[in-house]
Amino acid sequence: MHFIAKEIDQYLNQQDYVDTAVVPLLQLDLSTNGMKPSAGASEYLQTLTALLEKQFKGRILLLPPVSYAKIANRQRIADELSEELQQTGFKHVFYLTTDAEWRTIESLKNVLWLPAIPIEDMDQSFKKSVMEDQLRQVLPLFMKEWSHHS
Amino acid sequence: MSNNRVSRRQFLGYTLTGVGGFMAAGMLMPMVRFAVDPILQQHEGGDFVLTDQAVADITEEPVRVDFSFEQTDAWYVSEVTNSAWVYKEGDKLIALSPVCKHLGCTVNWAGDPEQPTQFFCPCHAGRYEKNGQNIPGTPPLGPLDEYEVQEQDGFVAIGAVRDNTLV
Ligand code: FES
Repeated sequence: MHFIAKEIDQYLNQQDYVDTAVVPLLQLDLSTNGMKPSAGASEYLQTLTALLEKQFKGRILLLPPVSYAKIANRQRIADELSEELQQTGFKHVFYLTTDAEWRTIESLKNVLWLPAIPIEDMDQSFKKSVMEDQLRQVLPLFMKEWSHHS
Repeated sequence: MSNNRVSRRQFLGYTLTGVGGFMAAGMLMPMVRFAVDPILQQHEGGDFVLTDQAVADITEEPVRVDFSFEQTDAWYVSEVTNSAWVYKEGDKLIALSPVCKHLGCTVNWAGDPEQPTQFFCPCHAGRYEKNGQNIPGTPPLGPLDEYEVQEQDGFVAIGAVRDNTLV
């Protein structure tokens, strides 16, 4: 489900079934040279999470991307997000990011790091097949997590 | 790959209610249809989206067929890709919606290796027969929706979604 008011009503009624939160983590680089790759990474991440949401609509709540500056303290973001999520009923939380710095943060479980693929210049059908490929790498990780602890 | 012989704009009439509209569409479209004079429904051939799936290649085994159209959400126009599970029953083409009637995940044909002749929903193990009939005892409470489908120049064309007419 998406983080929009209408779907949150549904989420609140179906919390037993929607037991997984997905949090995209997005680094912003607004320097002249960094802006385009940063935008490309954002496009990639949001395309991927949208596909994921479509596949698992009834089981995941996709939060809007948590965006932060290059210099942001990842550890602090991690702590604050975990604390916020702790008070919810989610049994599973996944973080998706293209920002390699998250690999050094050990306190977060289930951080899926994917190197961004520049999809902006691809034509529609090629982009679709590339993104479905990416999705196919992520889906089993969810299935595995669910089958282990549900 | 891409097949643009029929303008995607022709599908604008089916615009749903936004990114979250898939669930609502299942409930709203049938209601809209009841409000339309049934005679008119015979002639809505213009609103089909042509896919690049050849009808000749369709067998009795459901395959996923994607189709894209533009969706307008307030001022924002985006291209949406949906898919259908298409198979033949005799000579008749059947197209089922992949949207699970429980909470809206995408179902897969033979997604559960133990049930190779059923649709399977990975979210809460919902299952459906090939004709879309939900299997009692699994979470879904109704059958998969059905798409109107026709052949155009040898290719599959997908139309509006409606309640399942097969079960
Ligand atoms: S969404 Fe398909 S079984 Fe729950």
